Amino acid sequence: MLKRLTHNWNVRTRREFFTQAGSGLAGMALANLLQASTPGPHHTPKAKSVIFLFMEGGPSHIDLFDPKPKLKDLAGQPLPESYGKLITAMGTGNNTIMPSQRVFKQHGQAGTWVSDWYPEIAKHVDDIAVLRSCWADGLNHVGSVCQMNTGDILAGRPALGAWTNYGLGALNKNLPSFVVLLDDKEPVGGAKNWSSGFLPASLQGTQFRQGDTPILHLKPPVGVSDAQQKSKLQFLKALNEGYGANKTDDTELDARIRSYELAYEMQSAGSEAVDLTKESDATRKLYGMDNADTEAFGRNCLLARRLVERGVRFVELYCGSGSGWDAHANIEGNHSKWCRVSDRPVAGLLADLKSRGLLDETLVVWGGEFGRTPFNEKGNGRDHNPWGFTMWFAGGGIKPGITVGSTDEIGLKAVDRRAHVHDIHATILHLLGLNHIQTTYMHNGRAERPTITDGEVIKELLS
Amino acid sequence: MRLTAIILITTFSLSAANTKPKEFTAQQRRWWAFQKVTKPDTPVVRNQAWIRNPIDAFVLGKLEEKGIAPNPEADKRTLLRRLSLDLTGLPPTPEELQAFLADTSKAAYDKQVERLLASPQYGERWARHWLDLARYADSNGFKSDETRPHIWRYRDYVINAFNQDKPYDRFVREQIAGDEMYPGDADALVAVGFNRHFPDESNAANIMLRRQELLNDITDTVALTFMGMTVGCARCHDHKFDPILHKDYYRLSAFFANVKLHDDAVLLTTTQQKAWQLKYNTWDTGTRSIRDEMAQLRKAPYDAFYQERLVRFPEEIQDVIRMAPDKRTSYQWHMYLKAKDQVEFSDAEIAGKLRGEPAKLYKQLESRLATFDTIKPEPRPIAQTITDFEGIAPPTHVLNAGNYLAPLEEVEPGFLTILDPSNARYVKRRTALAEWLTSKDNPLTARVMVNRLWHHHFGHGIVGTPSDFGVMGERPANKELLDWLAATFVEKKWSMKEMHRLMVTSAAYRQDSAFNEASAKIDPDNKLTWRFSRRRLEGEAVRDSMLAVSGALNLKPGGPGVFPPLPPGMLTRGGWKRNEVESEANRRSVYIFVRRNTRYPMLEAFDMPDTHESCSRRSQTISPSQSLDLLNNEVILTWAKAFATRVANDGGMSQDAQIDRAFKLAYSRTATQEERNISNDFLIRQTAITGSKDRALADFCHMLLNANEFLYLN
Repeated sequence: MLKRLTHNWNVRTRREFFTQAGSGLAGMALANLLQASTPGPHHTPKAKSVIFLFMEGGPSHIDLFDPKPKLKDLAGQPLPESYGKLITAMGTGNNTIMPSQRVFKQHGQAGTWVSDWYPEIAKHVDDIAVLRSCWADGLNHVGSVCQMNTGDILAGRPALGAWTNYGLGALNKNLPSFVVLLDDKEPVGGAKNWSSGFLPASLQGTQFRQGDTPILHLKPPVGVSDAQQKSKLQFLKALNEGYGANKTDDTELDARIRSYELAYEMQSAGSEAVDLTKESDATRKLYGMDNADTEAFGRNCLLARRLVERGVRFVELYCGSGSGWDAHANIEGNHSKWCRVSDRPVAGLLADLKSRGLLDETLVVWGGEFGRTPFNEKGNGRDHNPWGFTMWFAGGGIKPGITVGSTDEIGLKAVDRRAHVHDIHATILHLLGLNHIQTTYMHNGRAERPTITDGEVIKELLS
Repeated sequence: MRLTAIILITTFSLSAANTKPKEFTAQQRRWWAFQKVTKPDTPVVRNQAWIRNPIDAFVLGKLEEKGIAPNPEADKRTLLRRLSLDLTGLPPTPEELQAFLADTSKAAYDKQVERLLASPQYGERWARHWLDLARYADSNGFKSDETRPHIWRYRDYVINAFNQDKPYDRFVREQIAGDEMYPGDADALVAVGFNRHFPDESNAANIMLRRQELLNDITDTVALTFMGMTVGCARCHDHKFDPILHKDYYRLSAFFANVKLHDDAVLLTTTQQKAWQLKYNTWDTGTRSIRDEMAQLRKAPYDAFYQERLVRFPEEIQDVIRMAPDKRTSYQWHMYLKAKDQVEFSDAEIAGKLRGEPAKLYKQLESRLATFDTIKPEPRPIAQTITDFEGIAPPTHVLNAGNYLAPLEEVEPGFLTILDPSNARYVKRRTALAEWLTSKDNPLTARVMVNRLWHHHFGHGIVGTPSDFGVMGERPANKELLDWLAATFVEKKWSMKEMHRLMVTSAAYRQDSAFNEASAKIDPDNKLTWRFSRRRLEGEAVRDSMLAVSGALNLKPGGPGVFPPLPPGMLTRGGWKRNEVESEANRRSVYIFVRRNTRYPMLEAFDMPDTHESCSRRSQTISPSQSLDLLNNEVILTWAKAFATRVANDGGMSQDAQIDRAFKLAYSRTATQEERNISNDFLIRQTAITGSKDRALADFCHMLLNANEFLYLN
């Protein structure tokens, strides 16, 4: 919180400046080439990679993981006065309470509550830690999606994936280290959400596009053969070596030669990473790729596994990208759909990671930019709720089979073990081996860090 | 903002705020950047022969002190290429180079400097540096990222200001308070749009918060850009390192407390406006009854829509919208001004909601209205800018932890306390700030700007952090030089071209970039300028140079942003339209539309800054994404083919002649024997692989454009 204003910083020379330019679009084995160092890790990492399952639009915690029987008693009544006046996105603060129509049950050894909207994920609760007391600052999507990604509701700061790359560098130099996968439209705010902000551009997230050319300009234009391109690159290298012959002090020139070699290698590594033809039918089925509803998101989940397998540090998958989960009206229809879209693929991902021994070193995060209100909007929908919502975590370093924190009895505000977005970010970084306070970067006179001036690791979640 | 934290701190600081005023330490008062500029004497140096102008005496003075010898002068070809890329962002043509090489007069180099400074491309190049500081963009940002249809006039204003050598003090005054200080001056009205470039969320529900965020953005940007101060830390507390008080942040921000959007500023002279009005009146009278009928049809959907949007706001804002105008306080007026755009919609939007018979009727009326188009006057040129609200300004409070809900003491407009503790005396707020910034005694303004010019010419500022002259920034590597430049800048009536002239004609600038082990041992980062700092060109210069070399560059100046094609597979939220005229895509990069949420990918890959805040110093990354773009981008391949065609046409049939022509166009020199050999080998090999001489030549040209020599300013 504000008490922790000990800004740390590393004064950097220009040379350091770009050698630390890390690892984004495979930015940088060059970092190794120039013997750069990253600020981290600061302690032994529990997780090597993160898969962030971003349910964009705001899934309703009170219809999924946070049952509130009290809502039945209050059905049709206005929000009790004790909750005060709320500014909501759509001005619904005076609307009446709407109970959940879902059936909740306890699951697994842990007895974790999950509603009937997520039957498959419910089978994995013993690997999952549910955090019911999340809260955030933004009222509407663009600010809130931005904050869940970058810590601030105002665009311009680096995304968590960019900080991760800055702090740790790349594991696989031939692939981007921070990958974003969309299943539908562009998320609100677009590429700002995976921006490197004031960090060097090479740290930004790379959106993998659908199809076999996931990265912009990954493939040579049609009609350019491999032999032709190799020959061009050979000539380019000769030109560059000639130019650099009397400039051997300038490591940047060498690094650029190397960047072409990496680009060439990436052409095949990138295509290989997204080539699902080698995956068995059983695997594809596990991810729900045999079903029209789950095919698109299932494919992305499978891709995510392939990417972390190949050393990609941070994979962010949007489910319902472009605010799919935003159920202002007809939450039953909306959430039935998106739960169906995500249930099997996510369960499949957890099962697959586990069976391959990857779950221990991969942190899986599920959540949206906020939850939804206990009062109705338009009679059958729910408005945005940043005051209290649920996220869950599984894998690398997470204590399995627990439920942490709580909201008030109507699910409006987080009360017990409140966890702000900054705390969630601090925890994710912690599991990756980064201390969020020591992960700093000098910018406009300030030692900026991922959690701005806040953030506290949520110890209860750690194994 | 964490409310719990804020509440705790509020109780704590309310009492703290009343304690005795903060004392500055002697050390803080002595901070170099806050001392008035005095023009130092030119140092006496041993190697007098090296000196071309006083800059050199200051540079050499330091070098001699450290026992470093400056590098020799670069050869003429290197110099012209450097000068041309630096001043205009484009390489010299072989003909320009030939003329320079042939000119053996003493003034040969100076003539080139004059030619380049006088070319319109100079302004296009140097405006781009300024646009980074101004966080310029053609769209709002946030979710909707709507286009700002008229904001490009600000970009053109900056280009023209550089080209006309507008005195920097005037340039500053126009951007801070042009509307107040130069009434009737269209340029000045556009200029003050500097404060209009904040990212904006057009449909924000929390308008009070939004207003505070905009004020913060303006305050931060003004301080960074004109003062070289990072005041952002003082938004929440006294600056930890610099003597900038918590209240100083709000004193500065109070200059802007009454600012409102002015998005329909008409740029016509009184005479032009009269003529326009006359024409309009005729159309207005002729169409009145039709338009009344149309308005009648829109009424029902308008009311419904209005109501729907109105209830989204918190009650206090709804009240503000509903209340009688004369009842609103000035703060409420600002709420109202921000809210009204969210409840009021264009006629077309409302008409789109009509259904059935009324919709049909409306269509007919539209057709009838269209028959009057022949007598309708042309739309007037509009600027998007800011101005002050007519009423009194709302009060400004120090905000606890920056939270608009936690006001502390009220403050008046004022400057940094350490420079001037009194309240600003003003008739118009921003005018007072503009005058303070451009007074001869201001220790920051001239220093900050000459350092920016130095930064771009020499690759790093004398102060390495051009927007941070505070404790966390770098110390000046040569303070006397900085002060001499600042004093000279003011003496020369703040002429930027005079400063360019001084810098680029200096011996310091004309050194070669060769490595020298002995010098590097003493000054590894070349802070004292013992050589020219080689550096990668910005994405804009790379792109523009490729276009120039290929002969495809369209030098048409000014106007709305253009939309070169995006690579396949890129999603945009409907914000990227294709240009109808193909050559529009080949305009200079400064004219590419800047959509906050979709930067043009090639420029983004080459470190074009995020447009959400002021940027004084771009990162210079090296990444495979840059290489993939230059290697596989179809657009660049097209340019390479055009380049090859040009080479084939100019160079004649001999392969050696073609190679030479290509080298001259791309690198301003002929190929060495070794290069001729590898080029010949490549062309033979590539002809065999592709089965076509033309394709081989295109591949050859393509690689010349990819090579380090092309990408680096040397």
